[in-house]
Amino acid sequence: MIQAPPPPPPAIAAPLLAESGPEMSVGTQGELRVAAALTDARVQVDSSFQGASIVLYGAVFNPTDDPTDVVVVVRGPDAPIRLVKKTRNLGVWLNSRPVLFEGAPGFYMTASTRPLPDIAGFGQLRRLGVGVDHLRIDAPEESRTVTRYGVRDVVISRLGEDYLDWRRAVIRLKEAAALYDTDPNGVRFVDRGLFRAQVELPATAPTGEYHAEVWLFRDGEPAGVSNLTLTVEKVGFERDIYELAHRRPWSYGVLCVLLAGGMGYLASRVFRRS
Amino acid sequence: MEIYLPIAEVSVNWPLLVLLGALVGFVSGLFGIGGGFLMAPVLVFLGIPPTVAVASQASHVVASSTSGVIRYTGQGAVDFRMGGIMAAGGAVGAIGGVELFRYLRLLGQADLVVALSYLIFLGAIGLLMLQESLTEILRRHRGEIAPHKERRRPLWLYGLPWKVRFPKSGLYISAIPPFGLGVFAGVLSAIMGVGGGFILVPAMLYALRMKAGVVVGTSLFQIIITTAITTILQAGRNQTVDIVLSSLLLVGGVVGAQLGARYAGRFRADVLRAALGLLILFVGIQMGLDLFVRPSDIFLLAPGVSDG
Repeated sequence: MIQAPPPPPPAIAAPLLAESGPEMSVGTQGELRVAAALTDARVQVDSSFQGASIVLYGAVFNPTDDPTDVVVVVRGPDAPIRLVKKTRNLGVWLNSRPVLFEGAPGFYMTASTRPLPDIAGFGQLRRLGVGVDHLRIDAPEESRTVTRYGVRDVVISRLGEDYLDWRRAVIRLKEAAALYDTDPNGVRFVDRGLFRAQVELPATAPTGEYHAEVWLFRDGEPAGVSNLTLTVEKVGFERDIYELAHRRPWSYGVLCVLLAGGMGYLASRVFRRS
Repeated sequence: MEIYLPIAEVSVNWPLLVLLGALVGFVSGLFGIGGGFLMAPVLVFLGIPPTVAVASQASHVVASSTSGVIRYTGQGAVDFRMGGIMAAGGAVGAIGGVELFRYLRLLGQADLVVALSYLIFLGAIGLLMLQESLTEILRRHRGEIAPHKERRRPLWLYGLPWKVRFPKSGLYISAIPPFGLGVFAGVLSAIMGVGGGFILVPAMLYALRMKAGVVVGTSLFQIIITTAITTILQAGRNQTVDIVLSSLLLVGGVVGAQLGARYAGRFRADVLRAALGLLILFVGIQMGLDLFVRPSDIFLLAPGVSDG
C-alpha cells in the first residue's frame, strides 16, 4: 500500500511547443505533440440546466509509426470535503465525528484510449496525478483538529492508517454522484491522428473554473500535454436568485415569507368567491 | 419538464413538485394540520439536500396556515392573545432551534437528531391518536355512549405567576405554559421543518383545556409566526431556503389545501383522526428505521463548513 499522495504534476510541456503553433502543422514534422479544444468553453447553468455534455476534440501530430495513447483529465474546482462514518452502537447507526479533507476536486474525470494501467506505469501516473487512484486529495502529514463554530473536526492525516479507507470513500461517494468518472475507452480516434472525447457534467457539478489536461503518452512516457480551461457558471435568473440569497440573505428570507403569505391570502380569496 | 433549483443545486421534475405540494396541501386541509412532517421526507427522497428541504418547505407551511387563519378568523375562531404569547415563545424557540440545527449539522449529527425527533414525536402522537380514535370508533359501532370526560385542568396551571385572561379560550391562566409550548414548537419547526400543529393541538386541548372551537385557528396563527421567523432565520443564517422550490410547492399547496378543507366535511371526525394517526405513525417509523437498518455505505458526505 502506497500511502504518499502524488506530488504536484510537473510542468511538462510538449517539446518545441513554443516554436510551432497549432496552425503550423505542416512545419511540425519530426516532433510529437498534441493539440486540443473544447466545443464549449463556457457552460451556462440556467433553470433548464440538467447537466452538460461537452466534446473535447484534438489532434496528435505523430511523424513516426510508434503507437501513442491520449489521456484526457478534467478537474473541477477544489473544495474541502467533510465525511462522517456510520458506526453501530447498541443496534443504532450513529455518525462519527466529521473528518475533513482540506481539498478535493469537485469534479474529476479521465478518459483514455486504453485502460490507464496499460498506458503508463503506476509511478508515472502517480507523479502526474492522472487517474482516480492517483488523484490528489489534500491531507497534511499529521492529523490535527480544527475548531470552527465550536465544532472540532479531525483533519485526516495522509500517513494515518485509515487514510486509505477515507480516501476510497470520498472517491466512491463522488463516483456514485457521477462527479468522478473513469472511462478507459473515452478517447476515440475518428481518423488518423484526430480524436474526440466526451465530458459529461451532471446537474450537481459545482460551478467555477475547470481545468482539462490532454496528455500524450508514448511507450509509457508522457510526450506532450495540452491545457484547456472550462468555466461553469450560473446565469440569468438562477444567478440572480443565488446572488440575492447569499448577498442579502435577510431580505431574501423576508421576500420568501411575504411570497408565501401572499399566496395563502390570494388562495383563500379566490376560493371563497368561487 | 426539469427545472434547476438555484439553491438546492439539483435538477428536478417541476410538475412532480407541484403535485407533491397539492397532495400535501390536500392532506393538510383535510386534517387541519400544516403537513410539514410529510413534505420533508418526500423532498429528501426526491434528492433535495435535507437542509434545503427542511428550510424551504417551512414557507409552504406559512402559505397553507395563512389561508387557514383567514378562514378561521372569519368564523371568530382565533384567540389572538393566546396565539401571540405562543408566537413569542415560538420566536425564542426558532432562534434557538436554528442555531442548534446549525451546530448539529457541523457536528455531523443533524440527520440523527432529525430521525430521532421524527421517530419519537410522530411515533408517540400517532399511537395516541390511533388509540384514542379507534376506541371511539369501536364504541360507536357497539352503540355505547362516550363516558363523560374529566374537565378538570391540571392544578399546576394555576400555581404559576403572570396570570392572563384569555376570554376567547375561556381561560384565566399563567402565560408561562403557552409560552413554553411555543418555545417547544419553535425548536421543532427549525429542526424538523414542521409547524408543530400535531403537537400543539393535542397540548392545547388536553393540557391547557382551551375551548375546542378556537384550538385549530389559534395554533395555525402561532404556526404562521413561528415558521415565518424560521424561514427568515434559515435564509439569513444558513442560506438554505430555495425560493424556486418553495414557490413550486406553494402553487400546488394552496390549491390542495382548499380542496382538502372541502372534503373534510364528508368524513367522520374519529375516522379522520384514525387515518391521520396511522399516517403520522407510518412516517415516524419510516424515518426512524434509518437508525436501525445497515446503511448501503457506512461513509457519508457531511455538509461543509463553507456552505454552513
